Amino acid sequence: MVGPQYDLVGNPLGAVRATFERAAEAAAAESGGREPVAAFRGKDWGANEVFRSFLFEQGGLDKVPVLDASNLGLIKPNTLVRFRGMVQDMLGNEYYVGAFKDGSTWRTNKFSDFSPFSIPHPCDSHLWERHLFHCVPVPGQNSWTRESSPGPDVCTMSICLTPEQREKRKRGADNDAMDVSENGNVEASSSSKKPKDDDAHNSNSSPEVSMNKEHIPEMNGVDHHIPGSSFSCLVKVYDMPESQVKLNDVAEFIGVYTFDPELAAPTDNSDDIMFDLIEDVTAQLPPSKVPRLHCLVRRKLSAHDFLSKPPTAEPSPILLKSIRQSLLSHLTLVLGKDELAAQCLLLHLLSRLLNKVDVVTVGRLSLNFTGFNRESASIFGNQINNLIQRLLPYSQAIPLSIEYLNTATLQPRKDNKSGRLITGVLQLPQGTHLTFDETLLQSGSLTSKGVENTMLLKNLMESQMVEYDFEYYKLEMATDIQLLTLSEGKSNILLSDLIVPFRPSCVPGVNASAEELESWRWYLATVRSLPQSTESETYQMIQDEMVSAMRDDRSLGCSELSRWLTMAQIMASSFGENSLSIEHWQMVKELERLRKERLQ
Amino acid sequence: MATGIKIDLAAERALAKDFLNNFAGPRGEPKYLNILQDVANRKIRAVQIELDDLIHYKDVDDEFLQRVTENTRRYIGVFADAIDELMPESTEAYAVDEDRDILMTQRVDESADGGADGTDPLQRMPPEIRRFFEVYIKAFSKVTPLTIRQVRATNIGQLVKISGIVTRCSDVKPLMQVAVYTCEECGFEIYQEVTARVFMPLFECPSQRCKLNKAKGNLILQLRASKFLKFQEVKLQELAEHVPKGHIPRSLTVHLRGELTRKVAPGDVVEMSGIFLPMPYYGFQAMRAGLVADTYLEAMSITHFKKKYEEYELKGDEQEQIDRLAEDGDIYNKLSRSLAPEIFGHEDVKKALLLLLVGAPHRKLTDGMKIRGDLHICLMGDPGVAKSQLLKHIINVAPRGVYTTGRGSSGVGLTAAVQKDPVTNEFVLEGGALVLADMGICAIDEFDKMEESDRTAIHEVMEQQTVSIAKAGITTSLNARTAVLAAANPAWGRYDMRRTPAENINLPPALLSRFDLLWLILDRADMENDLEMARHVVHVHQNLESPALGFAPLEPSVLRAYISAARRVVPSVPRELEEYIATAYSSIRQEEAKSNAPHSYTTIRTLLSILRISIALARLRFSETVAQSDVDEALRLMQMSKYSLYSDDRQRSGLDAISDIYSILRDEAARTNSMDVRYAHALNLISRKGYSEAQLKECLEEYASLNVWQIHPSTFDIHFIDA
Repeated sequence: MVGPQYDLVGNPLGAVRATFERAAEAAAAESGGREPVAAFRGKDWGANEVFRSFLFEQGGLDKVPVLDASNLGLIKPNTLVRFRGMVQDMLGNEYYVGAFKDGSTWRTNKFSDFSPFSIPHPCDSHLWERHLFHCVPVPGQNSWTRESSPGPDVCTMSICLTPEQREKRKRGADNDAMDVSENGNVEASSSSKKPKDDDAHNSNSSPEVSMNKEHIPEMNGVDHHIPGSSFSCLVKVYDMPESQVKLNDVAEFIGVYTFDPELAAPTDNSDDIMFDLIEDVTAQLPPSKVPRLHCLVRRKLSAHDFLSKPPTAEPSPILLKSIRQSLLSHLTLVLGKDELAAQCLLLHLLSRLLNKVDVVTVGRLSLNFTGFNRESASIFGNQINNLIQRLLPYSQAIPLSIEYLNTATLQPRKDNKSGRLITGVLQLPQGTHLTFDETLLQSGSLTSKGVENTMLLKNLMESQMVEYDFEYYKLEMATDIQLLTLSEGKSNILLSDLIVPFRPSCVPGVNASAEELESWRWYLATVRSLPQSTESETYQMIQDEMVSAMRDDRSLGCSELSRWLTMAQIMASSFGENSLSIEHWQMVKELERLRKERLQ
Repeated sequence: MATGIKIDLAAERALAKDFLNNFAGPRGEPKYLNILQDVANRKIRAVQIELDDLIHYKDVDDEFLQRVTENTRRYIGVFADAIDELMPESTEAYAVDEDRDILMTQRVDESADGGADGTDPLQRMPPEIRRFFEVYIKAFSKVTPLTIRQVRATNIGQLVKISGIVTRCSDVKPLMQVAVYTCEECGFEIYQEVTARVFMPLFECPSQRCKLNKAKGNLILQLRASKFLKFQEVKLQELAEHVPKGHIPRSLTVHLRGELTRKVAPGDVVEMSGIFLPMPYYGFQAMRAGLVADTYLEAMSITHFKKKYEEYELKGDEQEQIDRLAEDGDIYNKLSRSLAPEIFGHEDVKKALLLLLVGAPHRKLTDGMKIRGDLHICLMGDPGVAKSQLLKHIINVAPRGVYTTGRGSSGVGLTAAVQKDPVTNEFVLEGGALVLADMGICAIDEFDKMEESDRTAIHEVMEQQTVSIAKAGITTSLNARTAVLAAANPAWGRYDMRRTPAENINLPPALLSRFDLLWLILDRADMENDLEMARHVVHVHQNLESPALGFAPLEPSVLRAYISAARRVVPSVPRELEEYIATAYSSIRQEEAKSNAPHSYTTIRTLLSILRISIALARLRFSETVAQSDVDEALRLMQMSKYSLYSDDRQRSGLDAISDIYSILRDEAARTNSMDVRYAHALNLISRKGYSEAQLKECLEEYASLNVWQIHPSTFDIHFIDA
């Protein structure tokens, strides 16, 4: 264990290196001096533990600033930051000089782009690998999720820079390798190292800030790969079995932030002519524009992690039932006192993909409200959207018009020229909610792109799969997306599982209080993660009922039966029950009866 | 990577030399010496040393082999040195008109004069410049290639074998291998070996004379005297099947040198062996990239993946598995059940699809007429009866298959189109799905929604198996030897029972007659099915997995291997069967003539279909001749396919199965003018009409109790009792 000898937030690399040198010495003593660091390839030597205990046990997490577009220029390089984002592209792995011999001591470059020491001779160094992920802010992330985990104000951060940190920066700037860039930057950084006096913190930080400000406009500004997003981060992850991070995962990365405008690459370098094809993908994300984050600690985020308060109460059925009641009555009000629609919406919001069995997707429940026209869609649609935005962590509303279908890029596509995955609208994290407004659709002709987009949407609806285009072949990626369609008649483009004619009896006009919203969010997140036990007796009975229902109604198919069972299961968990009882099955049957009546 | 033990290079070279000298090929010929002779005669440039040969050489131990695979680059040098020593004199004259050769003779003369002070290393001629060959070390052919993902830091410096798809190719460029300079002052040739992609040119003459004279002679790079290599860069991307769920494919840079350049094009699926090497950045790039090393694969060999059945190579124990399956019997059922095992039922449809995969050989008659061997099948049915699933699964199993919809999304459509190249403004011919699926299977979903232009062209494809184009001054015929597997919806979306099948089908008879088999898959309801469905749905929701199948389906790879093996068989129809087939054909024709509203269009095409299906069945048994049972099964399948369309009709006509079977048997007895019908023969007859053995037994019992016939107690042969 290392005591708080280093300021882990201000100088994380110091701690990394110190632990490494100590571990290397110990290993050298043990092995008799031969290749002491070979054992550290792909392993942790204790640095991770230091950070984990600092962040999660000593409450250090709150001291770590959150990296986002607004404070990009304000955070000092080589400090500890947090970044929440979605893995948008996986850039493979990168080999770097992980450990090398500096004189007689072994040093490490893990968690950094640069070595403060001179570049080692190849014989005395080890090549290690790390994984590169291109992360972007989660598409469709709703604003309430950001409030949940605010970091400390960055302006105060400069104060916590330690003398050691400045020492390190000075050394970095002294390194010859770094002085090649534009003069302005060198001056700026040298001015930052001049005032060494201890009361000069403020004057110390100001040139740094102003210098970085100059770079903000060009930052990410023209990254055409991510439309609508102006910020991305290249996360480098160490020591991890590759399968742990998946595409479109939403995760929080805590690690060392490096951002070096000094290394701005000149665009036309004649030396590069030979390298036209080799061109590394990272060159597309120059360090001057995209910050690097060397990940120390990583955790996958679920809907629970966005709740501002940690859940105080155990999810007891009684508590859940009361919240369910309040949410349902709110939904009813929002939907103009249409209770049936509210019930269905609740079930829809609680649905999640449980598994994919061959071609059947179990657990999804896409919903189609029919009976909208343009006006009512604008009134109720907005209400529904607003509510969903405030309830779920990620949601998007898509206006489904001919023009949109013909022009929008829904399909993510690999650009083999640049080696990058160009995102499409349908590259979404698991658990996203999409609302389609089909009332905007008019008759018209679809271009080939429009047809492709429609096929994509259809495929998403039917099998929860999005096809990614890799030019020479296509890969289907599994998704878990809740789909709600508002349409005039039954939507034939987007065939939903559940079709409910919408019959409002008054205009909506309610607002929920912050506490209510919070409890509802907690309710939705909790219920969706409730485990379901399967009891055979109920199922046996349901099976018999299904057979008799089929005898009465010949048009019943596999999809209907499947939907009934899904609804019953969600109904059970919405009451906080973890097993399906006959009562819930009856409720679903009653819902179905009411719905059928309306359909006629 | 230091292995700790010092390697005796001289000994290694001796071993390499010994190997090249003494290794005997499969017919005892000195394989490598022959290659070297060809090299000396300037016929070939590449000397490929196969690890497969090395491992079989008596003096080579595992350690040497390991050293070669783990330090391949060094051993290429070792082998090259050994070849230098072994290089024979050329036995054939070749034109000495290349600059290089002239320069070489000059250089040799000069060194013989002793004019050069040979002490200076930069003045000694490096061996590379003299070599007219390139050495490649090819990895074991039997080892399964790694995926790009599996190539890790530990593989650096080693010989690895990977598979992938080429996504980008650079132009072929010259890469300097030996730079040659001449000095202005002393006139000596100065050599500089270039081992990396970037080198620092020399400016001052390092020769002794210049040094002594302190002349600082200016060096001039002699491009014609220098040695260049062809060099090409390629990006290789992981194959779709190697990408784990939730990940995206990786890519890898590959360097191709010399003879390996221009071997691949984007879109090719290849297997490569090569050395995985790090490439440090130079100059400014080093700073930009920090301490990162880029990696690449230096290619040693390239093998294109075979995509046709005919070229499919069996891997590992596949031959053994096929043999075991073939011995097992019942292979027909076993294979057909393994097609789309997750789709319940439809046994006969799956059998038909299996036969489509197997197909029959193409026949080319002496007068130049071609008879297609590919089977065409059309699946028709209500929406949601898993037609598309079946199609996609078949494409998965087939080594070369294209899945498309009737409204193919690209402008090329199904057949072919002439398009203007946006860059060169030239007209180019672009093949559609059917052309791309040449020698494979083309699955066309939504066949009924096809463009009118494609529909006319598909007539030609399905019978002549070519696509003819006469547009924009281009008149040509493209091969489209594909088996067409079509899926179509009925005319009104759902099958309308009140209308005739012809009205429901909505495809012109000319097109329909080109299909060997036509299946109607209807969503018919009965109690058993309902229960099965309810049970399935409940099971899926309860356990989040599909219920056990009750049998272990074969892996698609095994299926593929078996089918490709079966496709190599070319069965013939024995003379004694010809009569049998002819009778069967004529009886179908007669039956059709009898009925007042014929449903089918039995033409000479039908006869060819029977033959094709029978041959495919014989292929499945690896039999060189078609047996009568094959013909019977073919007739049964055709009958079943007809019944799937017209079964309601049959019920309406009032004939139940039992009395129909009786009349068949009665007719047969009358035809042969005998009182006896053998049981096996009877079974053949009724199965042709689509009845089962159980129904036959029922019929036999029922009519035996009426004393119409007698049944032999052990053989079940039928003897009619004359009334």
